[in-house]
Amino acid sequence: MDSFFEIHGLHKRFGGLGAVNDFDFQCDQGSIVSIIGPNGAGKTTVFNCITGFYSIDGGEIRFKGELLNDRSPDRITRIGIARTYQNIRLFSNMTGVENILVGMEPHLRSTYFGSLLRTKFTRNEERRAHTEAVRLLEFVGIPRHSDDLAKNFPYGDQRRLEIARALASKPELLLLDEPTAGMNIRESAETMHFIQKLRDELGITIILIEHDMRVVMGISERITVLDYGQKIAEGTPKDIQNNPRVIEAYLGRGAASGIATYPAT
Amino acid sequence: MRSKDGIRFGLITFGIILYLDLLGLPLTSGNSVTVIFAFLIGLFSLLFLRNRPGQTRTRSSTIVNGLLIGAISGVGLMSVTYFFASLQADGVRVNQVFAQILPENTGALTGLSKAQVLDGANIWPGLFKIGLAFMLAGFLGGSATLLFTEGTGGRVQRLGGSSVGHYVVLALPLLFFGLFMLLKVEGVQLGGADENILGLLFVFLFISASLFAFRDTRPGIERKVISLLLLALIIILPQLTDLFQNAVLSAVVIFVVMGLGLNIVVGYAGLLDLGYVAFFGIGAYTFGLLSAPESYILVNLPAFGGVTFWSGLPIAILAGVITGVLLGIPVLRMRGDYLAIVTLGFGEIIRLLFLNLRDYTGGPGGVLNIPAPIVFGIDLGNPKGIFYLGMIFSSIVAFVTIRLRDSRLGRSWIALREDEDVAQAMGLNLVVIKLLAFATGAAFAAAAGALYASRQVNIFPDNFTLLVSIDVLSLIIIGGLGSIEGVILGSIALIGLPEILRSVNEYRIVAFGALLVVMMILRPEGLLPSARRQRELRGEGIAEQPTSSE
Repeated sequence: MDSFFEIHGLHKRFGGLGAVNDFDFQCDQGSIVSIIGPNGAGKTTVFNCITGFYSIDGGEIRFKGELLNDRSPDRITRIGIARTYQNIRLFSNMTGVENILVGMEPHLRSTYFGSLLRTKFTRNEERRAHTEAVRLLEFVGIPRHSDDLAKNFPYGDQRRLEIARALASKPELLLLDEPTAGMNIRESAETMHFIQKLRDELGITIILIEHDMRVVMGISERITVLDYGQKIAEGTPKDIQNNPRVIEAYLGRGAASGIATYPAT
Repeated sequence: MRSKDGIRFGLITFGIILYLDLLGLPLTSGNSVTVIFAFLIGLFSLLFLRNRPGQTRTRSSTIVNGLLIGAISGVGLMSVTYFFASLQADGVRVNQVFAQILPENTGALTGLSKAQVLDGANIWPGLFKIGLAFMLAGFLGGSATLLFTEGTGGRVQRLGGSSVGHYVVLALPLLFFGLFMLLKVEGVQLGGADENILGLLFVFLFISASLFAFRDTRPGIERKVISLLLLALIIILPQLTDLFQNAVLSAVVIFVVMGLGLNIVVGYAGLLDLGYVAFFGIGAYTFGLLSAPESYILVNLPAFGGVTFWSGLPIAILAGVITGVLLGIPVLRMRGDYLAIVTLGFGEIIRLLFLNLRDYTGGPGGVLNIPAPIVFGIDLGNPKGIFYLGMIFSSIVAFVTIRLRDSRLGRSWIALREDEDVAQAMGLNLVVIKLLAFATGAAFAAAAGALYASRQVNIFPDNFTLLVSIDVLSLIIIGGLGSIEGVILGSIALIGLPEILRSVNEYRIVAFGALLVVMMILRPEGLLPSARRQRELRGEGIAEQPTSSE
C-alpha cells in the first residue's frame, strides 16, 4: 500500500541552478511534519512543485497513490491539497467571506444558467456556502470583520484568513508556508496551538515550512532539513536538534550551541 | 472639508466646463446654461466631497469651498477664453474647427458677436461678467449643499445623508424632466438656446440624476415608488423626444449594451480587451449578411438567408459567442499588456476581413438595406423604435450582469482579476472562467451589433474601427469600472454629449483625452463607481495595517 503522501527523487532546476536535487519525502495521514532549512534552501520551491505552480524536472510526487506530476494547480487542489503563502496572497479587494467563498469553489456545483435563472439549487447552495464561510471565520477566530476587505484586516488576521480560505476547499493535506512569519512570541504560540487543533479536530495532515524553532520543535512529529536543495537530515525534533550537519548548515562550521539549547517546547 | 478639496473640485469643474465649451455649449445654448452647469457641478462636487465618510464639515468651510470652486472655474474659463480670443485677434489660426467655434463661443460667453471678437473688441467686461457669474454660481452651489444637511459640523455618511438632502437628490430627476417639458411649451425660451439641443441636455441630466436618485433610495417602499416613477418617465420619454434626440439616445443605448459587455471582461475579470469592436462587428455583419437582400448569402444561398431581426439576432449572438471563445483560446495564457496587444490585433483583423473579403462581405461597399426589426407588425426601424429596443436590450443585459456578478462565477472573475495564480490554486478552472467572460462579453456586443446594423440600415467596415473599442473602454472607465449605472453615465458623457455639436466630432477625442487624464487623477474610481471599486480605491477610511516584512 502506498503511503499517504510521498515524494521520490524530486528535481527542479532554474536554468543551471539546481533548486531541489533528488529530494525524497513522505508523511503519514494525520501527522504534522516540518521542512526547515536556511534561507534559499529550496523549501518554498518544494511547495510550488507539489501544488503544480512549477513543473518538475524529475522524480515523482504521489498523493494517496495518485501521481501529481504535470497536473495544473486547480486539479491538485481538487484532489485535496491546499496551501498558504509565505508572503500573504489574499484576494485583497474582496471581503473576508468572499475570500473563503472562492476557496470553496471545488465544492460548488451551480452552473452559469443556474445563476442566471437563480434556481432553487443555486439559491440553496449559495446560502449554505455563506453559512459555512461565516462558520469557518469563527473557527479560525476572526468572526468580527467578515465583511471587511481582506486588505484591511490586521496582519495576524490576514494569516488566519488565508488558512481559513485554504480550509474552505476541505483539504486532506495542508501546506503552510511560514504561518508565524512576522508574529511575536505570543501570536506564534497561538498559531501553534491552532495548527494542532486543525490536525486534532479536522484530521488534516499538515506540512509546515517554518523558521521559528519554538514552533517547529513544539509541534512537529518529524522534521526534514533542506540545504542547497538537498535533504541533509530527517528525524524527530530531538534527532534534528543534535544533528551536527544541521547545526553546521544553520550556524556554519565551528559553531556548536544555538539550536541545541532551544527548549523542546 | 479642507480648502484643498475646494481647489481640486474647482479644477474638475473647470475641466468639465472647458470640455462643454470646446463642444460648443455656449454657442448652442447661450451662456446662461454654461453658468447653470457651473452651479450644478459645484453643487455635485460639494456633495461628492461630503459623501466621503468621516468628512467633517462646517458651515463656513462649505461656503468657502463653493466660492473656491466658482472662482477657480470662472477664472480658468476667463483665461482660456481670453487666450484664444487674443490668438484669434492676432490672426493666429489655432485650428480650422476651433477657429470657427471659438470666436462664436467667446462671443456667446461675453455677449459680443463673432465679428467683434475677431476685430479684437474689448472682451474684458464680458469676461468679468461671466467670471462673477461663476463665482456666484459656486457660492450658491456651496450654500445649497448646506440645505442638505441638518445642523453643522456633523459627520455625513452618504449623499443626501439628511432627510432634506435625500429628498433633494430624489427630486432632481423630476426637476430636469420638468425643465425638458418646459421647453416643449410654446413660446418658452431659455437663454436663446437651440431647443433641440437644450432639450437633449435636460434628458441627459434627467437620466443621470435618475441614476443617482435610484442609488440614494432606501430599500423598501421608497425604492419601489421612486424606481417605478422613474421607470414610467423613461418609458414615455421616447414619445416626447424628437427625431434628433431619439437618434442620439438610440446610439447611447447601443453603447450601454456594449459597455455592459466590456464591463464584464475588463471590469470584473480584469482581462484588458482592446479588440472588443470585433464582436460588435461580427454581430452586425452576421445579421446584415443573413438579412440584406443583396448580400452574398441571400444571392447565392437563398435557403439560409432572408431572416428577420428576431431570427437573425440569436444567430448573431451565437456567432459572437463562437468568435469570443475562438479569440479566448489562444490568449488564455496571456496577461495584461500582452493580452491588450493581441486583442487589439484581433479587432483589426476582423475589420480587415470585412474590408477585403469583397465577394462575401461587399468590401468597402458594405452591406446595404438591412431590414428593420418588426414587432407585432410595428416597424421599429426608426430612432424611436431603436431607442425602445435598445432600452429593452440594456435592461436584459443589465439583469444578466447583476445575476452573474452575484454568483460564484462573478466571484471567480474578481478573484481572477485580483491574483490569477492564487485563483487557480483555489481550484478555479481558469480556462472555463476566462472563456465564459469572453463569451458573455462577446454575446452582449454581438446583440448590440445586430441592433446597430438595423439602426444604420447600411453598414461598412469603417463603422468598426479601433476607435469604437477605445470609446467603449473609455466610457466604462469614466463611468466607473464594474458599475452598471456607471456604464450608462459614461455612455451619456462620451457618446451623448459630443453629439450635441456634431461638427467637432473628430475633435472630441482631444477633449476625451483631457477628460480621461483629469478623471483618472482626481476620481480614479469613475463618476458613479460600484460600491466595491469605491472601497478599493478610497480605502474606506480604515488605516492600512502595517504588514511586517519577512
